[in-house]
Amino acid sequence: MNAKDENLLIRQFKAGDLSIFEILIKKYQDRIYNLCRYLLGHPQDAEDAAQNVFLKAYRNLKHFKPESSLYTWLYRIAVNTCLDHKRKLRPEPLKDESLVEALPSAEPSPEQHYQSKEIGRAIQTALDQLPGDSRAVIVLREIEGLSYEEMAEVLHTSVGTIKSRLSRTREELRRLLPGK
Amino acid sequence: MECAQVKQMISRYVDQDLDPQEERTFEHHLRACPGCQEAMEGQMAIHHLLGSAEKFEAPLGFATRVMARIEEKERRPSFWSFFTLQPAFLRAVEVAFALVIMFIGMVSGNLLVTGKTPERPVTVQESFSLDLFQATPPDSIGGIYVSLAGGNHER
Repeated sequence: MNAKDENLLIRQFKAGDLSIFEILIKKYQDRIYNLCRYLLGHPQDAEDAAQNVFLKAYRNLKHFKPESSLYTWLYRIAVNTCLDHKRKLRPEPLKDESLVEALPSAEPSPEQHYQSKEIGRAIQTALDQLPGDSRAVIVLREIEGLSYEEMAEVLHTSVGTIKSRLSRTREELRRLLPGK
Repeated sequence: MECAQVKQMISRYVDQDLDPQEERTFEHHLRACPGCQEAMEGQMAIHHLLGSAEKFEAPLGFATRVMARIEEKERRPSFWSFFTLQPAFLRAVEVAFALVIMFIGMVSGNLLVTGKTPERPVTVQESFSLDLFQATPPDSIGGIYVSLAGGNHER
């Protein structure tokens, strides 16, 4: 589905065909869920947040302006939803030891799947220790692969701010992931 | 180039955002500075680590569950919309408002007729009586207008 098809769907939705929305969910559900998963860290929290993202999108799609792209608009809702969700949760205690243990050794391991899980856990533990805004910046760039311009649109800030925030966050992650 | 300047460029170098001139200066500094070299390698490693992180897919039935929640919300009106959208409720509010206005009118009219609160309590039946009614009491705006206009006024 290209941007033209997508704009047509949005026009149909605004004209009253609300069932169109399910097509849009299916197109973006994996990206939104993945973003929520890394911003929140827990599968159930991520599903709840992702569902809320689409509920908010459903209520506000009639106000969506086609000159901006739908996925950056959805990403913005997702980041705000997850940061709000995270603020309501009690912060978990910081455990640097578990982070070090979770990091894979430099030697190749025969248990590739297990190692991949361990890497994932190490990444998530490090991400959880970042402030919400920094976590959003690094996930949008490194995991979702957004450009500086797209990130600026999602986070409603300038490209310059994105670059400096990304630089600070990468340095912070280097400190949080020993051996990097 | 100072290390502080170079460290601010590392992140952009990782993203391949430096222009050719900046990149040459940056790499020249790195060859002579183990500290900045280490910082760059660390950020590059994190970039590759996060880039290879698992991509999670939405759980099975996700879209169906979202649509079910939407339909549920569409079917179930909110607490306030129940009151504001019910014609019977609107009629009741109108009638109650009219009764309040009538009551205020009767009490204030009675005060204008006598100029003070009645010495004895006026019953509800008496208050509805037209015997006590004066369209333009003398101390009302209407009464003053009638007297200025030279009309007859009987108290």
